[in-house]
Amino acid sequence: MKPSVSSLFQSVELVQEIPPLLIGERCNPNGSKAFREALLADDWDVCLKLALDQEARGAQVLDLCVAYAGRDELADMVQLVKLCAGSCKAPLMLDSTSPDTLATILPLYPGRAIINSINLEDGGANLDKICQLAKKYGAAVVALTITEAGMALTCAEKVATAKQIYALAVDKHGLRPQDILFDLLTFTVGSGDESMRDAAIQTLAAIKQVKHELPGVGFTLGISNISFGLRPVARKVLNSVFLHEAIAAGLTTAIVDAAKVLPYAAISEEDRTLCLNLLFNRSAGALMEFIDHFELAKDEVEEDDADTLLEEQLRHKVLKGDKEGLEDLLIELRGRWQPLDIINSLLVPSMREVGELFGRGELLLPFVLQSAEVMKKSVAFLEPYMDKIEDDGRTSILLATVAGDVHDIGKNLVDIILTNNGYQVHNIGIKVPAEEIINKARELNVDVIGLSGLLVKSALLMKENMSQFQAVGLTQPVLLGGAALTPKFVAQDCVPNYLQPVVYCADAFAGLKAIREFEAGKLVSTSWQPATVTANRPGPQQELLDRSMQPPAVPFLGRRSVLDVDAEKLFTYLNEAALFRGRWGYRRGKLSKEDYAELNEKTVQPLFQRLKTQALTEGWLQPKVSYGYFSCVSEGDNLLVTTEGQQYDFSFPRQAASPGLCIADYFRTAAEGGDTVGFFVVSIGAELAERTKELYQSDNYHDYLMLHGLGVELTDALAEYWHEQMRIEMGIQQPQIADIQAYVAQGYQGSRYGFGYPSCPDLEAHRPLFAMLKAEEIGVTLTESCEMVPEMSTSAIIVHHPQAKYFAV
Amino acid sequence: MRYICTCCGYIYDPKEGDAMNKVAPGVAFEDLPQGWVCPLCYATVDNFDPLD
Repeated sequence: MKPSVSSLFQSVELVQEIPPLLIGERCNPNGSKAFREALLADDWDVCLKLALDQEARGAQVLDLCVAYAGRDELADMVQLVKLCAGSCKAPLMLDSTSPDTLATILPLYPGRAIINSINLEDGGANLDKICQLAKKYGAAVVALTITEAGMALTCAEKVATAKQIYALAVDKHGLRPQDILFDLLTFTVGSGDESMRDAAIQTLAAIKQVKHELPGVGFTLGISNISFGLRPVARKVLNSVFLHEAIAAGLTTAIVDAAKVLPYAAISEEDRTLCLNLLFNRSAGALMEFIDHFELAKDEVEEDDADTLLEEQLRHKVLKGDKEGLEDLLIELRGRWQPLDIINSLLVPSMREVGELFGRGELLLPFVLQSAEVMKKSVAFLEPYMDKIEDDGRTSILLATVAGDVHDIGKNLVDIILTNNGYQVHNIGIKVPAEEIINKARELNVDVIGLSGLLVKSALLMKENMSQFQAVGLTQPVLLGGAALTPKFVAQDCVPNYLQPVVYCADAFAGLKAIREFEAGKLVSTSWQPATVTANRPGPQQELLDRSMQPPAVPFLGRRSVLDVDAEKLFTYLNEAALFRGRWGYRRGKLSKEDYAELNEKTVQPLFQRLKTQALTEGWLQPKVSYGYFSCVSEGDNLLVTTEGQQYDFSFPRQAASPGLCIADYFRTAAEGGDTVGFFVVSIGAELAERTKELYQSDNYHDYLMLHGLGVELTDALAEYWHEQMRIEMGIQQPQIADIQAYVAQGYQGSRYGFGYPSCPDLEAHRPLFAMLKAEEIGVTLTESCEMVPEMSTSAIIVHHPQAKYFAV
Repeated sequence: MRYICTCCGYIYDPKEGDAMNKVAPGVAFEDLPQGWVCPLCYATVDNFDPLD
């Protein structure tokens, strides 16, 4: 068990795989003006919001300090610990040096907290009491190197004090070394004080020495102290470089404003050198050089504070997806504008601009979602001040995922984009039959109907729906979207069945464009000119199959369930390109190679690391596998599979054109001696769907898309991993370090064809597959239309024949 | 210049061409035949990102 702390909701390891553990510092009246004002006003909701904001910005533990002159620390602490315990996922660091306060709040906290802090300022009386409390309630403890003589400034003093504290806490009170986080203190190198020029050197040296002499203890540090007195823009850079150095020295946790930490790679060589010269006191002029250099730098904070027009500030917030200070800004704007006018004249045009930037490839989808969050939040804030929401004038849209299809991410993205562009959206969910769509469209009297669906089958169903809509005489135009749709299919198969415009929409913004065309009376059905060229059907080009392939040796015949798959393993098999660029939408677009690398370093990787940590600590990633090997014979387009005395018939489609491939061909016929086939169903569990649902419902659009995308790719990673395991079991691959880049391009013997994908699109095959594998054992079931539930599941037939590769029928 | 499929991670390298689509080595991404799609996941060219 790795040393961890926990909240009611989750545990967090004290030593992160990639340190440091970030401890949010802003819930402290001495450090944050906003928190101080909220505390002094007894505004607990705002205090909580500041805590939650830090979580959103990446803090993994939250420091909570309420000690402030004139306040009752104990009462305030009780109030806030109770509030945070029920709402904050990040474990709390209870920041108090009062044994009485700690004795009251520790039993209130439903998790393993960190006490901040103990020291030897009073000779050790409080330390004794607090260590007893830590032992009793199982808390971890921050230990500051302060003695009766004051704060330890030199490396020698810091180490000596740390040893003294260690002797008391560990030897006398029985805490474990891992329960202690030493804060060896650091002081500013920015004051010009001659005696403090080596403050960073002393601290870093002390961390190294304590780590060596007191093995197993952890460390923390108030990073920003290093730059006290300097300009904010300079502090951010210096803090980040110092943090990087401190981690290298052995720092395991850091008390910081997580949002203000720059990735080291994002700091220019020049800035780094200036910081390192200052931190390591490399020259007498280091501080002046540093100050001079950053004198020229533009300060983001100062820029924001400038007296830009309030209206312009709001536009900026939408474009940047910045929610900070949004409510204050809206309150001010309400002095000048009617709430509805703020929405229609300021927010909607800004969102329109966001859409245009996206359309030009200048803004990526994740940022669009953050803009939409600003919009949503603004509208939610303004709504109570409006007499009533004027629905009459607004264009309304009914959205549904068609019958038999459970996929809702695409439809929900359309909902987000339309809603936050000021439209009235009725999102009536997934698996909606035509009758219900018709009834709702009439009942709600909507202007436009939007249908979504991912499956090949859904595309066919949309075609049917058009006839049904026509039969009952609906009058609304219909927008169609989904992975299996093409403009050609919509134009040739859907448009003719319905008299009103039927329009193919490639993404949510195409939907938005269509709605605007509708409003302008210019919406027309999708048309398709048969091009002179037809789309390629890529695939292996050979026509002659080697019929001499022997069936592989398999470790067993029949089915097995694997319930204890190592979750962390999946990250080795994750297709990062597909996740980052495809699922998440962090595409390179018009960025230069360098700018894209910077986006990756500064935004994508930190996000990925945050979600990875969550995946591995929050317990929602529950990979399970149901698989097996079976005797089979190929017969025409069919594969007849026998197990437990039963025969199952898998029918595969054949390419109409040359080379006329069909999956059944890769197996030997009965006359050739029969063959062996593998199958699997894998799933990462149902828990993720709950998480994404919560995020969507709480308007966390960005995180919703990110988490959903990660889930899809982790499911695929599990499939990739298990396919590799099966190749190894069949002896057609040596155990080796997974080469995911090669796997992506099928750099292995044989192939894995997913049911529902182009080589075998028919989901009906799931019926015999589930009868054979009994995937219910790993929690996967089928809907009436043969889709797997939970959504984060995938299935495949494993073919060993070396000539088998992906193809489309 | 190489291009990467944002849907599946396949990399089109002009040095290698694309046998699955009968594209010979030496063909630049911009010069791929109309109707060319990703040989692994059938995504169209607008789903590709420049890599180099």
